[in-house]
Amino acid sequence: MLEGILMGLTTAVSPINLAMVVAGCMVGTFIGMLPGLGPISAIALMIPITYGLEPSTGLILMAGVYYGAIFGGSTSSILINAPGVAGTVATAFDGYPMAKKGQAGKALAIAAYSSFSGGTIATLLLLVAAPSLAAVSLSFHSTDYFALMVLGLTAVAAFAGKGNVVKAILMTVLGLMISTIGTDQTQGIQRFTMGITDLIDGISFLLLAMAAFALSEALLVVLRPKSDKARAKELEAQSNLGSMKLSKAEIKEMIPVIGRSSLLGFFVGVLPGAGATIASFLAYGMEQRIAGEKGKEFGTGSIRGLTAPETANNAACSGSFVPLLTLGIPGSGTTAIMLGALISYGIQPGPRLYLDNPTVFWSVIISMYIGNVVLLILNLPLIPYIAKILSIPSNILTPLILFFSLIGVYFVSFNTFDIHLMVIFAVAAVGLRLLDFPLAPMLLGFILGGMMEENLRRALLINDDSWSFIIERPLTLSILLIAAATLVLPAILSKASVWFLNRVEKNKANES
Amino acid sequence: MLSSDRIGALVLLAFSIGYGAMIYQIPLLPFQRTAAFTAQTLPQALSVMGIVLSLVLLFTSRNRDMPDVAGYHWLKGGLICGLMVAYGFLVRPAGFILSTGLFLIFCELVLGERRWKILIFSTMPVVLFFWYLMNEVLGVYVAPLPEFLVDMRG
Repeated sequence: MLEGILMGLTTAVSPINLAMVVAGCMVGTFIGMLPGLGPISAIALMIPITYGLEPSTGLILMAGVYYGAIFGGSTSSILINAPGVAGTVATAFDGYPMAKKGQAGKALAIAAYSSFSGGTIATLLLLVAAPSLAAVSLSFHSTDYFALMVLGLTAVAAFAGKGNVVKAILMTVLGLMISTIGTDQTQGIQRFTMGITDLIDGISFLLLAMAAFALSEALLVVLRPKSDKARAKELEAQSNLGSMKLSKAEIKEMIPVIGRSSLLGFFVGVLPGAGATIASFLAYGMEQRIAGEKGKEFGTGSIRGLTAPETANNAACSGSFVPLLTLGIPGSGTTAIMLGALISYGIQPGPRLYLDNPTVFWSVIISMYIGNVVLLILNLPLIPYIAKILSIPSNILTPLILFFSLIGVYFVSFNTFDIHLMVIFAVAAVGLRLLDFPLAPMLLGFILGGMMEENLRRALLINDDSWSFIIERPLTLSILLIAAATLVLPAILSKASVWFLNRVEKNKANES
Repeated sequence: MLSSDRIGALVLLAFSIGYGAMIYQIPLLPFQRTAAFTAQTLPQALSVMGIVLSLVLLFTSRNRDMPDVAGYHWLKGGLICGLMVAYGFLVRPAGFILSTGLFLIFCELVLGERRWKILIFSTMPVVLFFWYLMNEVLGVYVAPLPEFLVDMRG
């Protein structure tokens, strides 16, 4: 293990990779700050660029972008009460009131310190937890992989956000359906190509991700009416940041909150499907209950109320890398995209990643930590300048986002059919989003679908067309049982976070 | 009562039925038909799941909200989609620089930008820089000029 860490460290601190972390964090912050564009879109936009890079370099860039985008999301939550990401919704509860009181700078600083501490503690936990999970790796057969994919798919139950499990599962099925388009991987039979040659290779994951997230988001910006009032509010917030210094008493208040929220965030992040959003709500609710008398300040600009969700969402981001790197199960929409990117590098994420590609494994973990440091020392002083991005008018920014999404896919395939297919998918995605259907489960189903089918068919071939392996192999059976549990658990967790949320609002209402 | 959940459920129901109907076009060789799992098996299962889940959503959804699309700029959105389709047709014959430049300028026009200086200076530098980045730095060749000019040059 020590050897692996050293190898990862050497890779992570090489000049090109360090440059990638820095660039990734900056670009991520930049994109994450744009209202509506979250880490998923940010990472999707990065994929074409990473194709030409070494796998570890590419992943490091994406991890940097991921962190940056979450941080950027907090910035827009605090400054204009427009969370770019679901994970930073809770940040706006106390961050925005602070900004309204003229303490925007302080709120941003608290967010940065909390994110840093949450990320640091979670990375340390990741360092310890990941190898022990990977230790069971060698005993995995194709039957177990199939069970793992099922586990990954059931994890979507929690992506639903508002707790609508049926919709999330339906979208997963849609993703699985799209994954069957193209040539069948076991027998080489064409499926659903409708005689179109461009579909024989199937639909690329990049195309689907870009169309469903980046392109549809840009289209929604075009479609949505925006009032001059909202615009004026944005301009006012970014011109008035205030001091960024924290007093000793404030830091003292933050430390225990950071400790508790990091642990909570990390473990919620590890649960596939739970992710940063639920972690941040749970941390917010937990702190409010613990705070006692001070809990009444929550929602009016409380330091604890800002520290807790910020720490937890960053810790959960690190946590969600545990199932991704060790089991090949993405814990969130964002890690689902990274899973797709790993596969396109020819790296099979999962139990064997730790053994087959230790450099990739460790360098990603280490660069995640470096990303945290970069965010703190580079981004904090730059916040006033970065906030200026909010003043770029959307009629200049939107065409550029459209261009980068289209060209990102075109430059990989050089097939103009892809551009047209993207428009079709983007329009469909806009429709689904307007109808409030979650898109992340669709992408997850799409990515895991092909692998699941392949492993299942291999398992059946090995077992002479008998389904008995499901009961006969204890490992397969237990993973499938966990999958069944996962289907239920996040629903309970999200119910809990909704309950906390209601309590917060009730308290708010009582006060006013 | 129609709601956003139900509209979505109906659309996905139609999609699942259409998907299911197309399964029988997947060709199978005689020996493949007898296997426990063929190229048709997963699509069949998915189609059934899709139909069942959309029916469940259709009949159990308690959500009565309709999507709030009042004041949406549908024309603008449609024009932008049209521009993207046109860009797809033009990017090869018209060359990267011309087609991309026009695409960005027309997008900005659709979105309400009328100052020609901003139209030019917010788009062309990006196009040229991106083309330079791809060709010179990343080594991905993209034809910059329209096809007929390249032909004339021989």
